[in-house]
Amino acid sequence: MMTAGLQVSTPTDTTIRFTRVFRAPRHLVWNAMTKPDLVQRWMFCPPDWSWGKCEMDVRVGGKFRWEWNGPNGQTALSIWGEYREVQPHSRIVHTERMEMGPGAGGACGGATAADTGATPEPWELLAALELGEQNGSTVMTMTLTFASKAARDGALASGMEHGMEAGYAQLDAQLAQ
Amino acid sequence: MVIDRAPLLDRVFHALAHPARRSIIRRLAAGEQNLSELASPLKMSFPAASKHVRVLEGARLVRRRISGRQHMCRLEAEPLKEVTQWTEQFRGHWEARFQALDALLEEMQPQDAAVTNPSAPTPRRRSAPRIRRKTS
Repeated sequence: MMTAGLQVSTPTDTTIRFTRVFRAPRHLVWNAMTKPDLVQRWMFCPPDWSWGKCEMDVRVGGKFRWEWNGPNGQTALSIWGEYREVQPHSRIVHTERMEMGPGAGGACGGATAADTGATPEPWELLAALELGEQNGSTVMTMTLTFASKAARDGALASGMEHGMEAGYAQLDAQLAQ
Repeated sequence: MVIDRAPLLDRVFHALAHPARRSIIRRLAAGEQNLSELASPLKMSFPAASKHVRVLEGARLVRRRISGRQHMCRLEAEPLKEVTQWTEQFRGHWEARFQALDALLEEMQPQDAAVTNPSAPTPRRRSAPRIRRKTS
């Protein structure tokens, strides 16, 4: 049985994968992840940030843009890209670029480019979202594919790994003894 | 040596990004081992294993001492703790988002049930025209 919490893994040298189970049928998860008014209700950033733009034209060739403003009202973070594959209720593949703006005091829960020495230039990745349904629950898998291992490692180091491999947590427990 | 000049956190992430090095760390968590002991389950030559240990040393995750002909390796947990705290914060951030999504989905379910429940019919939008003409 899968746990409900977020799981993060690195299946290959150029990918990061997130898995999460939602206790709802997948058409609802699909709506919550593809309709801008619903997306804005859960995909928040730090408490002092607010949504700037949330535009999503979910069809092949359509574009999306998410922007958050920092406390000073300036853009803190922009994420944008284009949809490459759209299979309603089951699969979306989109390109993704992100850029920190002047409104970002600190990054979205991680280190800033300046902290880590990573290049502040936007880089592109491919995000594949898959939704499967099991007994009324939805299993979400999000796989991020980077252009190279270096790009993936850079993303890990600059805070794009939204978590860590279950094994590390296990190791941490061992180390805490 | 670009790696050596990179901030420690980058070096730690780089060190953790290889399965062989994660395997070494896991085994060293149980206690000090010599390099040959570390190399054998990895099906790796001594120099190859030594190279991985060097990357771990660069990230201050492993300390090596040479005792006679033995290279004894020991885990240094401090940098790992920092990374764990930092990434756990990040995972926590995404998990918090997904918990907000859980709450939203819960809110959506009764409405969805009302729509799909035949005893509470809702007006249907007309679907696409029935007659389809072939286009050339």
